[in-house]
Amino acid sequence: MSNQASITRLPQARRPALLGGYEWATLCLVGFAFAVPVLTRNPQILSQTNLILIAATAALGVYIMLRMDLMSFAVPAFMAIGGYTVAVLSLKLGVTDAILLGVAAFVMPALCAVPLGWLILRLKGVYFVLVTFVLTEIVQLLLFEAAPLTGGSNGLVGMPAVTLFGIELMDNSQVLLTTAGLAFAGFTITALFTRHFRYEFTAIEKNDVLAESLGLACWRYKALAFSVAAGVSGLAGFALVNMLLTAHPTSFAPMSSVSYITYTIVGGKGAILGTLAGAALLVTATDLFALKGELSPGLFGLLIIVVTLVARGGVIGLAAKAAGRMRRASPAAPARVAPIAAVQARGVKS
Amino acid sequence: MLSIRDLHVSYGGTRAVEGIDLDVGAGETVLLIGANGAGKSSLINAVIGLVRTARGRVTFDGRDIAGLPSDARARCGIGYSPEGRRVFPSMSVKDNVLSGAVRLTPREQARRWDGLVDTFPFLAERQAQAAGELSGGQQQLVAIARAMSGGPKLLLLDEPFLGLAPVWIRQISAAVQRMRDEGIAVLMTEQMARPALRIAQVGHVMRSGQIRRSGRTEEIKGAALAEEYL
Ligand SMILES: Nc1ncnc2c1ncn2[C@@H]1O[C@H](COP(=O)(O)OP(=O)(O)O)[C@@H](O)[C@H]1O
Ligand SMILES: [Mg+2]
Repeated sequence: MSNQASITRLPQARRPALLGGYEWATLCLVGFAFAVPVLTRNPQILSQTNLILIAATAALGVYIMLRMDLMSFAVPAFMAIGGYTVAVLSLKLGVTDAILLGVAAFVMPALCAVPLGWLILRLKGVYFVLVTFVLTEIVQLLLFEAAPLTGGSNGLVGMPAVTLFGIELMDNSQVLLTTAGLAFAGFTITALFTRHFRYEFTAIEKNDVLAESLGLACWRYKALAFSVAAGVSGLAGFALVNMLLTAHPTSFAPMSSVSYITYTIVGGKGAILGTLAGAALLVTATDLFALKGELSPGLFGLLIIVVTLVARGGVIGLAAKAAGRMRRASPAAPARVAPIAAVQARGVKS
Repeated sequence: MLSIRDLHVSYGGTRAVEGIDLDVGAGETVLLIGANGAGKSSLINAVIGLVRTARGRVTFDGRDIAGLPSDARARCGIGYSPEGRRVFPSMSVKDNVLSGAVRLTPREQARRWDGLVDTFPFLAERQAQAAGELSGGQQQLVAIARAMSGGPKLLLLDEPFLGLAPVWIRQISAAVQRMRDEGIAVLMTEQMARPALRIAQVGHVMRSGQIRRSGRTEEIKGAALAEEYL
Protein backbone atom coordinates (compact mmCIF):
# COMPACT_ATOMS: atom_id res chain seq x y z
CA MET A 1 0.00 0.00 0.00
CA SER A 2 2.82 2.42 0.76
CA ASN A 3 4.05 1.88 -2.76
CA GLN A 4 0.73 2.95 -4.12
CA ALA A 5 0.66 5.95 -1.81
CA SER A 6 3.93 7.26 -3.19
CA ILE A 7 2.64 6.88 -6.72
CA THR A 8 -0.43 8.92 -5.93
CA ARG A 9 1.68 11.81 -4.70
CA LEU A 10 2.60 12.59 -8.27
CA PRO A 11 0.66 15.65 -9.31
CA GLN A 12 -2.14 14.39 -11.46
CA ALA A 13 -5.04 16.12 -13.10
CA ARG A 14 -8.41 14.98 -11.85
CA ARG A 15 -10.05 15.14 -15.25
CA PRO A 16 -7.76 12.64 -16.90
CA ALA A 17 -9.76 11.64 -19.95
CA LEU A 18 -11.97 13.66 -22.25
CA LEU A 19 -14.37 10.74 -22.53
CA GLY A 20 -14.79 7.42 -20.73
CA GLY A 21 -15.25 3.92 -22.10
CA TYR A 22 -19.02 4.07 -22.24
CA GLU A 23 -18.91 7.38 -24.05
CA TRP A 24 -16.44 6.16 -26.67
CA ALA A 25 -18.44 2.97 -27.24
CA THR A 26 -21.65 4.97 -27.66
CA LEU A 27 -20.11 7.43 -30.11
CA CYS A 28 -18.68 4.54 -32.15
CA LEU A 29 -22.11 2.92 -32.34
CA VAL A 30 -23.80 6.17 -33.35
CA GLY A 31 -21.00 6.81 -35.83
CA PHE A 32 -21.62 3.37 -37.33
CA ALA A 33 -24.98 4.70 -38.56
CA PHE A 34 -23.08 6.67 -41.23
CA ALA A 35 -22.04 3.33 -42.71
CA VAL A 36 -25.54 1.82 -42.78
CA PRO A 37 -26.57 3.46 -46.12
CA VAL A 38 -23.36 2.12 -47.66
CA LEU A 39 -23.99 -1.41 -46.40
CA THR A 40 -27.64 -1.73 -47.34
CA ARG A 41 -30.35 -0.20 -49.48
CA ASN A 42 -33.12 -2.02 -47.64
CA PRO A 43 -35.65 0.79 -46.95
CA GLN A 44 -36.93 -1.03 -43.86
CA ILE A 45 -33.51 -1.03 -42.23
CA LEU A 46 -32.81 2.55 -43.26
CA SER A 47 -36.03 3.90 -41.80
CA GLN A 48 -35.67 1.77 -38.66
CA THR A 49 -32.14 3.11 -38.06
CA ASN A 50 -33.44 6.60 -38.67
CA LEU A 51 -36.20 6.20 -36.09
CA ILE A 52 -33.83 4.74 -33.51
CA LEU A 53 -31.37 7.60 -33.92
CA ILE A 54 -34.09 10.25 -33.59
CA ALA A 55 -35.58 8.53 -30.55
CA ALA A 56 -32.16 8.16 -28.90
CA THR A 57 -31.19 11.77 -29.55
CA ALA A 58 -34.49 12.99 -28.11
CA ALA A 59 -34.02 10.76 -25.05
CA LEU A 60 -30.64 12.42 -24.40
CA GLY A 61 -32.61 15.39 -23.09
CA VAL A 62 -34.04 13.07 -20.44
CA TYR A 63 -30.63 11.51 -19.74
CA ILE A 64 -28.96 14.87 -19.11
CA MET A 65 -31.60 15.98 -16.62
CA LEU A 66 -31.69 12.59 -14.89
CA ARG A 67 -27.98 12.96 -14.21
CA MET A 68 -29.13 15.48 -11.62
CA ASP A 69 -32.13 13.42 -10.58
CA LEU A 70 -34.58 15.66 -12.43
CA MET A 71 -37.28 13.94 -14.48
CA SER A 72 -38.13 16.09 -17.47
CA PHE A 73 -41.21 15.83 -19.68
CA ALA A 74 -40.10 18.89 -21.62
CA VAL A 75 -38.31 17.06 -24.46
CA PRO A 76 -41.16 17.30 -27.03
CA ALA A 77 -41.49 21.02 -26.31
CA PHE A 78 -37.86 21.70 -27.19
CA MET A 79 -37.96 19.27 -30.11
CA ALA A 80 -40.88 21.30 -31.45
CA ILE A 81 -38.98 24.57 -31.04
CA GLY A 82 -35.99 23.09 -32.88
CA GLY A 83 -38.09 21.45 -35.57
CA TYR A 84 -40.27 24.48 -36.27
CA THR A 85 -37.22 26.76 -36.29
CA VAL A 86 -35.83 24.64 -39.11
CA ALA A 87 -39.15 24.52 -40.97
CA VAL A 88 -39.63 28.28 -40.75
CA LEU A 89 -36.05 28.98 -41.79
CA SER A 90 -36.25 26.72 -44.83
CA LEU A 91 -39.79 27.54 -45.96
CA LYS A 92 -39.91 31.25 -45.27
CA LEU A 93 -36.28 32.28 -45.57
CA GLY A 94 -34.99 29.64 -47.97
CA VAL A 95 -32.20 28.41 -45.70
CA THR A 96 -31.37 24.80 -46.58
CA ASP A 97 -27.79 24.37 -45.43
CA ALA A 98 -27.80 21.44 -42.98
CA ILE A 99 -25.05 22.83 -40.77
CA LEU A 100 -26.67 26.25 -40.48
CA LEU A 101 -30.03 24.65 -39.74
CA GLY A 102 -28.43 22.31 -37.19
CA VAL A 103 -26.90 25.22 -35.33
CA ALA A 104 -30.24 27.03 -35.32
CA ALA A 105 -32.07 23.88 -34.16
CA PHE A 106 -29.70 23.69 -31.18
CA VAL A 107 -29.37 27.35 -30.30
CA MET A 108 -33.01 28.35 -30.49
CA PRO A 109 -34.38 25.84 -27.91
CA ALA A 110 -31.27 26.28 -25.77
CA LEU A 111 -31.94 30.03 -25.59
CA CYS A 112 -35.65 29.50 -24.88
CA ALA A 113 -34.66 27.17 -22.05
CA VAL A 114 -32.70 29.87 -20.22
CA PRO A 115 -35.68 31.94 -18.97
CA LEU A 116 -37.84 28.81 -18.64
CA GLY A 117 -35.18 27.11 -16.55
CA TRP A 118 -34.86 30.21 -14.44
CA LEU A 119 -38.57 29.89 -13.68
CA ILE A 120 -39.02 26.17 -13.14
CA LEU A 121 -35.70 24.90 -11.76
CA ARG A 122 -36.57 26.39 -8.40
CA LEU A 123 -39.23 23.73 -8.13
CA LYS A 124 -38.33 20.50 -6.42
CA GLY A 125 -39.15 16.91 -7.23
CA VAL A 126 -42.67 16.25 -8.40
CA TYR A 127 -43.44 19.94 -8.99
CA PHE A 128 -40.63 20.17 -11.50
CA VAL A 129 -41.94 17.06 -13.25
CA LEU A 130 -45.46 18.47 -13.44
CA VAL A 131 -44.39 21.83 -14.75
CA THR A 132 -42.25 20.31 -17.51
CA PHE A 133 -45.32 18.39 -18.61
CA VAL A 134 -47.44 21.52 -18.56
CA LEU A 135 -44.74 23.27 -20.60
CA THR A 136 -45.04 20.63 -23.29
CA GLU A 137 -48.82 21.06 -23.32
CA ILE A 138 -48.46 24.82 -23.65
CA VAL A 139 -46.04 24.53 -26.56
CA GLN A 140 -48.43 22.09 -28.22
CA LEU A 141 -51.23 24.62 -27.80
CA LEU A 142 -49.08 27.43 -29.21
CA LEU A 143 -48.26 25.33 -32.28
CA PHE A 144 -51.97 25.10 -33.04
CA GLU A 145 -52.80 28.70 -32.16
CA ALA A 146 -49.91 30.61 -33.72
CA ALA A 147 -51.09 29.66 -37.20
CA PRO A 148 -49.44 32.50 -39.16
CA LEU A 149 -46.02 31.23 -38.08
CA THR A 150 -46.62 27.52 -37.49
CA GLY A 151 -49.36 26.73 -39.96
CA GLY A 152 -51.70 25.74 -37.14
CA SER A 153 -53.30 22.32 -37.51
CA ASN A 154 -51.97 21.99 -41.07
CA GLY A 155 -48.42 22.31 -39.89
CA LEU A 156 -45.68 23.49 -42.22
CA VAL A 157 -45.60 21.28 -45.28
CA GLY A 158 -43.54 21.10 -48.43
CA MET A 159 -40.16 21.86 -46.93
CA PRO A 160 -37.28 21.75 -49.41
CA ALA A 161 -34.62 19.07 -48.86
CA VAL A 162 -31.63 20.16 -46.83
CA THR A 163 -28.30 20.64 -48.53
CA LEU A 164 -24.74 19.96 -47.48
CA PHE A 165 -22.12 22.03 -49.31
CA GLY A 166 -24.74 22.69 -51.97
CA ILE A 167 -25.66 19.01 -52.48
CA GLU A 168 -29.29 18.07 -51.88
CA LEU A 169 -29.87 15.30 -49.36
CA MET A 170 -33.12 13.93 -50.65
CA ASP A 171 -33.47 10.14 -50.83
CA ASN A 172 -33.85 7.71 -47.94
CA SER A 173 -30.19 7.01 -47.43
CA GLN A 174 -29.30 10.69 -47.54
CA VAL A 175 -31.99 11.51 -44.99
CA LEU A 176 -30.42 8.87 -42.76
CA LEU A 177 -27.06 10.57 -43.20
CA THR A 178 -28.55 13.86 -42.02
CA THR A 179 -30.11 12.14 -39.00
CA ALA A 180 -26.83 10.37 -38.26
CA GLY A 181 -25.01 13.68 -38.36
CA LEU A 182 -27.51 15.30 -35.99
CA ALA A 183 -27.48 12.28 -33.67
CA PHE A 184 -23.70 12.21 -33.65
CA ALA A 185 -23.61 15.90 -32.80
CA GLY A 186 -26.18 15.39 -30.04
CA PHE A 187 -24.36 12.42 -28.54
CA THR A 188 -20.98 14.15 -28.73
CA ILE A 189 -22.28 17.27 -27.01
CA THR A 190 -24.02 15.22 -24.32
CA ALA A 191 -21.01 12.97 -23.73
CA LEU A 192 -18.57 15.87 -23.42
CA PHE A 193 -20.94 17.87 -21.25
CA THR A 194 -21.87 15.13 -18.79
CA ARG A 195 -18.30 13.89 -18.65
CA HIS A 196 -16.87 17.33 -17.95
CA PHE A 197 -19.26 17.96 -15.06
CA ARG A 198 -19.63 14.39 -13.87
CA TYR A 199 -18.40 14.98 -10.29
CA GLU A 200 -20.66 17.98 -9.92
CA PHE A 201 -23.64 16.17 -11.43
CA THR A 202 -23.12 13.08 -9.29
CA ALA A 203 -22.86 15.16 -6.12
CA ILE A 204 -26.04 17.06 -7.03
CA GLU A 205 -27.84 13.83 -7.96
CA LYS A 206 -27.00 12.17 -4.67
CA ASN A 207 -27.61 15.09 -2.34
CA ASP A 208 -28.07 18.57 -3.71
CA VAL A 209 -28.35 20.22 -0.29
CA LEU A 210 -25.03 18.77 0.77
CA ALA A 211 -23.46 19.63 -2.59
CA GLU A 212 -24.60 23.21 -2.16
CA SER A 213 -23.10 23.46 1.31
CA LEU A 214 -19.78 22.40 -0.24
CA GLY A 215 -19.84 25.37 -2.57
CA LEU A 216 -21.54 23.96 -5.66
CA ALA A 217 -24.01 26.41 -7.14
CA CYS A 218 -26.50 23.62 -7.92
CA TRP A 219 -28.97 25.92 -9.52
CA ARG A 220 -26.47 27.14 -12.07
CA TYR A 221 -25.50 23.60 -13.09
CA LYS A 222 -29.16 22.65 -13.39
CA ALA A 223 -29.89 25.71 -15.55
CA LEU A 224 -26.93 24.97 -17.80
CA ALA A 225 -28.00 21.33 -18.13
CA PHE A 226 -31.58 22.32 -18.89
CA SER A 227 -30.35 24.54 -21.69
CA VAL A 228 -28.01 21.93 -23.18
CA ALA A 229 -30.74 19.29 -22.93
CA ALA A 230 -33.09 21.64 -24.76
CA GLY A 231 -30.53 22.19 -27.51
CA VAL A 232 -29.96 18.47 -28.00
CA SER A 233 -33.72 17.89 -28.09
CA GLY A 234 -33.88 20.56 -30.78
CA LEU A 235 -31.45 18.54 -32.90
CA ALA A 236 -33.80 15.57 -32.60
CA GLY A 237 -36.68 17.83 -33.62
CA PHE A 238 -34.72 18.85 -36.72
CA ALA A 239 -34.08 15.21 -37.60
CA LEU A 240 -37.75 14.35 -37.19
CA VAL A 241 -38.97 17.28 -39.29
CA ASN A 242 -36.35 16.49 -41.93
CA MET A 243 -37.50 12.88 -42.14
CA LEU A 244 -41.13 13.88 -42.65
CA LEU A 245 -40.38 17.07 -44.62
CA THR A 246 -43.21 18.45 -42.52
CA ALA A 247 -43.45 20.17 -39.15
CA HIS A 248 -46.70 19.14 -37.55
CA PRO A 249 -47.91 19.46 -33.93
CA THR A 250 -48.66 15.73 -33.69
CA SER A 251 -44.96 14.95 -34.15
CA PHE A 252 -44.39 16.63 -30.78
CA ALA A 253 -47.30 15.23 -28.81
CA PRO A 254 -46.87 15.66 -25.05
CA MET A 255 -47.38 11.91 -24.56
CA SER A 256 -44.27 11.15 -26.59
CA SER A 257 -42.25 12.42 -23.63
CA VAL A 258 -43.21 9.18 -21.86
CA SER A 259 -41.44 7.22 -24.60
CA TYR A 260 -38.25 9.26 -24.28
CA ILE A 261 -38.22 8.81 -20.53
CA THR A 262 -38.80 5.07 -21.00
CA TYR A 263 -35.86 4.73 -23.40
CA THR A 264 -33.46 6.27 -20.91
CA ILE A 265 -34.72 4.46 -17.83
CA VAL A 266 -35.09 1.04 -19.45
CA GLY A 267 -31.70 1.37 -21.14
CA GLY A 268 -30.11 2.54 -17.90
CA LYS A 269 -29.69 6.09 -16.71
CA GLY A 270 -26.22 5.45 -15.29
CA ALA A 271 -24.44 5.76 -18.63
CA ILE A 272 -25.06 7.41 -21.98
CA LEU A 273 -24.93 4.00 -23.66
CA GLY A 274 -28.14 3.16 -21.83
CA THR A 275 -30.10 5.81 -23.73
CA LEU A 276 -28.94 4.43 -27.07
CA ALA A 277 -29.58 0.84 -26.00
CA GLY A 278 -33.02 1.68 -24.62
CA ALA A 279 -34.06 3.51 -27.78
CA ALA A 280 -32.76 0.74 -30.03
CA LEU A 281 -34.50 -1.99 -28.03
CA LEU A 282 -37.83 -0.28 -27.58
CA VAL A 283 -38.14 1.23 -31.05
CA THR A 284 -37.39 -2.20 -32.50
CA ALA A 285 -39.84 -3.88 -30.12
CA THR A 286 -42.55 -1.34 -30.93
CA ASP A 287 -42.06 -2.12 -34.59
CA LEU A 288 -41.94 -5.89 -34.11
CA PHE A 289 -45.12 -6.08 -32.08
CA ALA A 290 -46.74 -3.41 -34.27
CA LEU A 291 -47.82 -1.51 -31.19
CA LYS A 292 -50.51 1.05 -31.71
CA GLY A 293 -49.51 4.60 -30.90
CA GLU A 294 -52.17 5.01 -28.22
CA LEU A 295 -51.17 1.80 -26.51
CA SER A 296 -47.49 2.40 -26.07
CA PRO A 297 -47.58 5.12 -23.34
CA GLY A 298 -49.45 2.71 -21.08
CA LEU A 299 -47.13 -0.17 -21.81
CA PHE A 300 -44.08 2.05 -21.46
CA GLY A 301 -45.34 3.34 -18.13
CA LEU A 302 -45.67 -0.25 -16.96
CA LEU A 303 -42.16 -0.98 -18.20
CA ILE A 304 -40.76 1.98 -16.23
CA ILE A 305 -42.37 0.65 -13.07
CA VAL A 306 -41.01 -2.85 -13.64
CA VAL A 307 -37.47 -1.60 -14.31
CA THR A 308 -37.56 0.74 -11.31
CA LEU A 309 -38.64 -2.12 -9.08
CA VAL A 310 -36.48 -4.91 -10.47
CA ALA A 311 -33.37 -3.43 -12.08
CA ARG A 312 -32.69 0.21 -11.31
CA GLY A 313 -29.65 0.31 -13.54
CA GLY A 314 -31.70 -0.76 -16.57
CA VAL A 315 -30.31 -2.93 -19.34
CA ILE A 316 -26.83 -1.42 -19.06
CA GLY A 317 -26.82 -1.85 -15.29
CA LEU A 318 -27.74 -5.52 -15.64
CA ALA A 319 -25.06 -6.06 -18.27
CA ALA A 320 -22.48 -4.30 -16.10
CA LYS A 321 -23.48 -6.40 -13.12
CA ALA A 322 -23.11 -9.58 -15.14
CA ALA A 323 -19.72 -8.43 -16.42
CA GLY A 324 -18.66 -7.56 -12.88
CA ARG A 325 -19.67 -11.00 -11.65
CA MET A 326 -17.62 -12.63 -14.39
CA ARG A 327 -14.64 -10.44 -13.55
CA ARG A 328 -14.92 -11.25 -9.86
CA ALA A 329 -14.94 -14.93 -10.74
CA SER A 330 -11.57 -14.48 -12.45
CA PRO A 331 -8.56 -14.31 -10.07
CA ALA A 332 -7.20 -10.78 -10.67
CA ALA A 333 -10.16 -8.77 -9.38
CA PRO A 334 -9.12 -5.14 -8.91
CA ALA A 335 -10.50 -3.68 -5.67
CA ARG A 336 -11.17 -0.24 -6.99
CA VAL A 337 -14.20 1.57 -8.31
CA ALA A 338 -14.20 0.66 -11.94
CA PRO A 339 -16.56 2.62 -14.19
CA ILE A 340 -18.78 -0.45 -14.26
CA ALA A 341 -19.13 -0.49 -10.49
CA ALA A 342 -19.89 3.21 -10.54
CA VAL A 343 -22.71 2.62 -13.01
CA GLN A 344 -24.14 -0.11 -10.82
CA ALA A 345 -23.94 2.06 -7.77
CA ARG A 346 -25.58 4.96 -9.53
CA GLY A 347 -28.49 2.76 -10.43
CA VAL A 348 -29.15 2.12 -6.75
CA LYS A 349 -30.40 5.26 -5.07
CA SER A 350 -28.90 6.01 -1.71
CA MET B 1 -13.51 36.25 11.43
CA LEU B 2 -16.99 34.88 12.25
CA SER B 3 -19.34 36.95 14.30
CA ILE B 4 -22.85 35.91 15.29
CA ARG B 5 -25.22 38.37 16.94
CA ASP B 6 -28.62 37.67 18.46
CA LEU B 7 -29.18 34.61 16.28
CA HIS B 8 -32.59 32.95 16.32
CA VAL B 9 -33.55 29.76 14.48
CA SER B 10 -36.94 28.11 14.66
CA TYR B 11 -38.70 25.27 12.90
CA GLY B 12 -42.37 26.12 12.83
CA GLY B 13 -43.17 26.25 16.51
CA THR B 14 -39.92 24.72 17.78
CA ARG B 15 -37.37 27.30 18.81
CA ALA B 16 -33.98 25.70 18.31
CA VAL B 17 -31.68 28.72 18.80
CA GLU B 18 -32.74 31.66 20.89
CA GLY B 19 -30.54 34.71 20.78
CA ILE B 20 -26.96 33.53 20.57
CA ASP B 21 -23.89 35.78 20.39
CA LEU B 22 -20.69 34.07 19.40
CA ASP B 23 -17.32 35.00 17.89
CA VAL B 24 -14.64 32.92 16.27
CA GLY B 25 -11.32 34.68 15.73
CA ALA B 26 -8.82 33.84 13.01
CA GLY B 27 -7.00 30.62 13.84
CA GLU B 28 -9.14 30.06 16.91
CA THR B 29 -10.75 26.72 17.75
CA VAL B 30 -14.13 27.20 19.37
CA LEU B 31 -16.15 24.38 20.87
CA LEU B 32 -19.90 24.21 21.35
CA ILE B 33 -20.81 21.67 24.00
CA GLY B 34 -24.36 20.53 24.55
CA ALA B 35 -26.61 17.53 24.87
CA ASN B 36 -28.69 16.17 22.03
CA GLY B 37 -31.31 18.73 21.01
CA ALA B 38 -29.47 21.70 22.50
CA GLY B 39 -29.46 23.49 19.14
CA LYS B 40 -25.84 22.98 18.10
CA SER B 41 -26.57 21.72 14.60
CA SER B 42 -29.14 24.44 14.07
CA LEU B 43 -26.49 27.04 14.87
CA ILE B 44 -23.92 25.46 12.56
CA ASN B 45 -26.49 25.08 9.78
CA ALA B 46 -27.49 28.71 10.17
CA VAL B 47 -23.85 29.71 9.60
CA ILE B 48 -23.49 27.67 6.41
CA GLY B 49 -26.98 28.63 5.27
CA LEU B 50 -28.84 25.33 5.39
CA VAL B 51 -31.51 26.71 7.69
CA ARG B 52 -33.09 30.11 7.57
CA THR B 53 -32.37 32.43 10.44
CA ALA B 54 -35.46 33.96 12.01
CA ARG B 55 -33.51 36.89 13.41
CA GLY B 56 -29.95 38.03 13.96
CA ARG B 57 -26.77 38.78 12.05
CA VAL B 58 -24.01 36.51 10.80
CA THR B 59 -20.91 38.25 9.52
CA PHE B 60 -17.88 36.51 8.09
CA ASP B 61 -14.70 38.41 7.29
CA GLY B 62 -16.61 41.63 7.91
CA ARG B 63 -19.28 40.69 5.35
CA ASP B 64 -22.92 40.06 6.20
CA ILE B 65 -23.57 36.56 4.87
CA ALA B 66 -27.03 35.95 6.32
CA GLY B 67 -28.72 36.58 2.98
CA LEU B 68 -26.41 34.43 0.86
CA PRO B 69 -27.26 30.91 -0.36
CA SER B 70 -25.11 28.20 1.13
CA ASP B 71 -22.96 27.65 -1.94
CA ALA B 72 -21.98 31.31 -1.93
CA ARG B 73 -21.07 31.08 1.76
CA ALA B 74 -18.91 28.04 1.06
CA ARG B 75 -17.14 29.98 -1.67
CA CYS B 76 -16.52 32.81 0.79
CA GLY B 77 -14.23 30.38 2.63
CA ILE B 78 -16.40 28.33 4.96
CA GLY B 79 -15.85 24.56 4.97
CA TYR B 80 -18.61 22.38 6.39
CA SER B 81 -18.59 18.81 7.65
CA PRO B 82 -22.15 17.78 8.50
CA GLU B 83 -23.30 15.71 11.44
CA GLY B 84 -23.50 11.99 10.76
CA ARG B 85 -20.62 11.85 8.25
CA ARG B 86 -22.62 12.27 5.09
CA VAL B 87 -20.38 11.27 2.22
CA PHE B 88 -21.46 10.51 -1.35
CA PRO B 89 -21.49 6.71 -1.00
CA SER B 90 -21.06 5.70 -4.64
CA MET B 91 -18.30 8.20 -5.37
CA SER B 92 -14.68 7.27 -4.76
CA VAL B 93 -12.85 8.63 -1.74
CA LYS B 94 -10.82 10.99 -3.88
CA ASP B 95 -13.86 12.30 -5.77
CA ASN B 96 -15.65 12.80 -2.46
CA VAL B 97 -12.79 14.79 -1.04
CA LEU B 98 -12.35 16.91 -4.13
CA SER B 99 -16.08 17.56 -4.50
CA GLY B 100 -15.39 20.32 -1.99
CA ALA B 101 -12.92 21.86 -4.43
CA VAL B 102 -14.65 21.78 -7.83
CA ARG B 103 -14.04 25.46 -8.39
CA LEU B 104 -10.26 24.95 -8.36
CA THR B 105 -8.17 24.06 -11.39
CA PRO B 106 -7.01 20.44 -11.71
CA ARG B 107 -3.47 21.53 -10.78
CA GLU B 108 -4.66 23.25 -7.62
CA GLN B 109 -6.83 20.26 -6.82
CA ALA B 110 -3.81 17.99 -7.13
CA ARG B 111 -1.88 20.21 -4.72
CA ARG B 112 -4.80 20.25 -2.27
CA TRP B 113 -5.06 16.49 -2.47
CA ASP B 114 -1.35 16.08 -1.71
CA GLY B 115 -1.68 18.32 1.33
CA LEU B 116 -4.67 16.35 2.60
CA VAL B 117 -2.86 13.05 2.07
CA ASP B 118 -0.07 14.39 4.28
CA THR B 119 -2.63 15.05 7.02
CA PHE B 120 -4.63 11.85 6.52
CA PRO B 121 -2.37 9.20 4.93
CA PHE B 122 -5.18 6.65 4.70
CA LEU B 123 -6.79 8.76 1.97
CA ALA B 124 -4.08 7.72 -0.46
CA GLU B 125 -4.55 4.03 0.30
CA ARG B 126 -8.30 4.20 -0.18
CA GLN B 127 -8.55 6.90 -2.81
CA ALA B 128 -10.24 4.76 -5.47
CA GLN B 129 -12.59 2.92 -3.12
CA ALA B 130 -16.25 3.87 -2.94
CA ALA B 131 -16.71 6.03 0.16
CA GLY B 132 -19.82 4.08 1.17
CA GLU B 133 -17.66 1.01 1.81
CA LEU B 134 -15.50 2.71 4.43
CA SER B 135 -15.82 2.40 8.19
CA GLY B 136 -17.53 5.15 10.16
CA GLY B 137 -14.28 6.75 11.28
CA GLN B 138 -12.88 6.72 7.77
CA GLN B 139 -16.05 8.29 6.39
CA GLN B 140 -15.78 11.01 9.01
CA LEU B 141 -12.22 11.73 7.93
CA VAL B 142 -13.37 11.87 4.30
CA ALA B 143 -16.09 14.36 5.24
CA ILE B 144 -13.57 16.52 7.13
CA ALA B 145 -11.03 16.32 4.32
CA ARG B 146 -13.77 17.29 1.90
CA ALA B 147 -14.57 20.35 4.02
CA MET B 148 -10.87 21.26 4.02
CA SER B 149 -10.29 20.68 0.30
CA GLY B 150 -11.81 24.00 -0.71
CA GLY B 151 -9.13 25.80 1.33
CA PRO B 152 -11.47 27.34 3.93
CA LYS B 153 -10.66 30.09 6.37
CA LEU B 154 -13.28 28.72 8.75
CA LEU B 155 -14.16 25.10 9.27
CA LEU B 156 -17.50 23.99 10.71
CA LEU B 157 -17.36 20.50 12.23
CA ASP B 158 -20.67 19.18 13.50
CA GLU B 159 -20.00 16.38 16.02
CA PRO B 160 -16.87 15.06 14.30
CA PHE B 161 -16.18 12.54 17.08
CA LEU B 162 -19.65 11.03 17.30
CA GLY B 163 -19.40 7.27 17.67
CA LEU B 164 -15.73 7.07 16.74
CA ALA B 165 -12.97 4.90 18.20
CA PRO B 166 -10.11 6.70 20.02
CA VAL B 167 -7.73 6.10 17.14
CA TRP B 168 -9.88 8.21 14.83
CA ILE B 169 -10.51 10.84 17.48
CA ARG B 170 -6.75 11.24 17.83
CA GLN B 171 -6.28 11.66 14.08
CA ILE B 172 -9.05 14.21 13.80
CA SER B 173 -7.75 16.10 16.85
CA ALA B 174 -4.30 16.24 15.32
CA ALA B 175 -5.76 17.56 12.08
CA VAL B 176 -7.70 20.27 13.92
CA GLN B 177 -4.60 21.33 15.82
CA ARG B 178 -2.69 21.48 12.57
CA MET B 179 -5.35 23.73 11.11
CA ARG B 180 -4.96 26.10 14.03
CA ASP B 181 -1.24 26.25 13.27
CA GLU B 182 -2.08 27.16 9.70
CA GLY B 183 -4.38 29.94 10.89
CA ILE B 184 -7.66 28.23 10.01
CA ALA B 185 -10.49 28.91 12.42
CA VAL B 186 -12.61 26.01 13.59
CA LEU B 187 -16.11 25.97 15.08
CA MET B 188 -16.93 22.47 16.29
CA THR B 189 -19.75 20.89 18.26
CA GLU B 190 -19.67 17.94 20.60
CA GLN B 191 -21.79 16.10 23.10
CA MET B 192 -18.77 14.41 24.62
CA ALA B 193 -16.77 17.18 26.24
CA ARG B 194 -13.57 15.36 27.17
CA PRO B 195 -11.62 14.85 23.94
CA ALA B 196 -12.90 18.07 22.40
CA LEU B 197 -11.86 20.21 25.35
CA ARG B 198 -8.26 19.18 24.74
CA ILE B 199 -8.08 20.83 21.33
CA ALA B 200 -10.29 23.91 21.71
CA GLN B 201 -9.25 27.21 23.26
CA VAL B 202 -12.69 28.64 23.84
CA GLY B 203 -15.82 26.76 24.77
CA HIS B 204 -19.52 27.52 25.04
CA VAL B 205 -21.96 25.30 26.88
CA MET B 206 -25.32 25.23 25.14
CA ARG B 207 -28.69 24.14 26.43
CA SER B 208 -32.21 24.69 25.03
CA GLY B 209 -31.02 27.01 22.31
CA GLN B 210 -29.04 29.30 24.57
CA ILE B 211 -25.44 29.64 25.72
CA ARG B 212 -25.25 28.97 29.46
CA ARG B 213 -21.50 29.24 30.09
CA SER B 214 -18.63 30.62 28.02
CA GLY B 215 -14.95 30.89 28.62
CA ARG B 216 -11.52 29.49 27.99
CA THR B 217 -11.67 25.71 27.97
CA GLU B 218 -9.87 25.36 31.34
CA GLU B 219 -12.44 27.65 32.92
CA ILE B 220 -15.56 25.92 31.67
CA LYS B 221 -14.31 22.36 32.00
CA GLY B 222 -16.43 21.66 35.07
CA ALA B 223 -19.63 22.98 33.55
CA ALA B 224 -18.94 21.22 30.28
CA LEU B 225 -18.35 17.87 31.93
CA ALA B 226 -21.45 18.32 34.04
CA GLU B 227 -23.44 18.88 30.84
CA GLU B 228 -22.21 15.57 29.54
CA TYR B 229 -23.86 13.68 32.40
CA LEU B 230 -27.07 15.66 32.68
N1 LIG C 1 -35.63 20.02 10.70
C1 LIG C 1 -36.18 20.21 11.91
N2 LIG C 1 -37.51 20.38 12.03
C2 LIG C 1 -38.07 20.57 13.24
N3 LIG C 1 -37.39 20.63 14.40
C3 LIG C 1 -36.06 20.46 14.36
C4 LIG C 1 -35.39 20.24 13.10
N4 LIG C 1 -34.07 20.11 13.37
C5 LIG C 1 -33.94 20.23 14.70
N5 LIG C 1 -35.12 20.45 15.30
C6 LIG C 1 -35.33 20.68 16.72
O1 LIG C 1 -34.53 21.76 17.11
C7 LIG C 1 -33.93 21.52 18.36
C8 LIG C 1 -32.43 21.61 18.23
O2 LIG C 1 -31.95 20.57 17.39
P1 LIG C 1 -30.45 20.48 16.90
O3 LIG C 1 -30.04 21.80 16.42
O4 LIG C 1 -30.36 19.35 15.96
O5 LIG C 1 -29.68 20.14 18.24
P2 LIG C 1 -28.30 19.39 18.46
O6 LIG C 1 -27.52 19.46 17.22
O7 LIG C 1 -27.67 20.12 19.57
O8 LIG C 1 -28.62 17.97 18.83
C9 LIG C 1 -34.41 20.15 18.82
O9 LIG C 1 -35.48 20.33 19.70
C10 LIG C 1 -34.88 19.49 17.55
O10 LIG C 1 -35.94 18.62 17.81
MG1 LIG D 1 -26.75 17.99 16.16
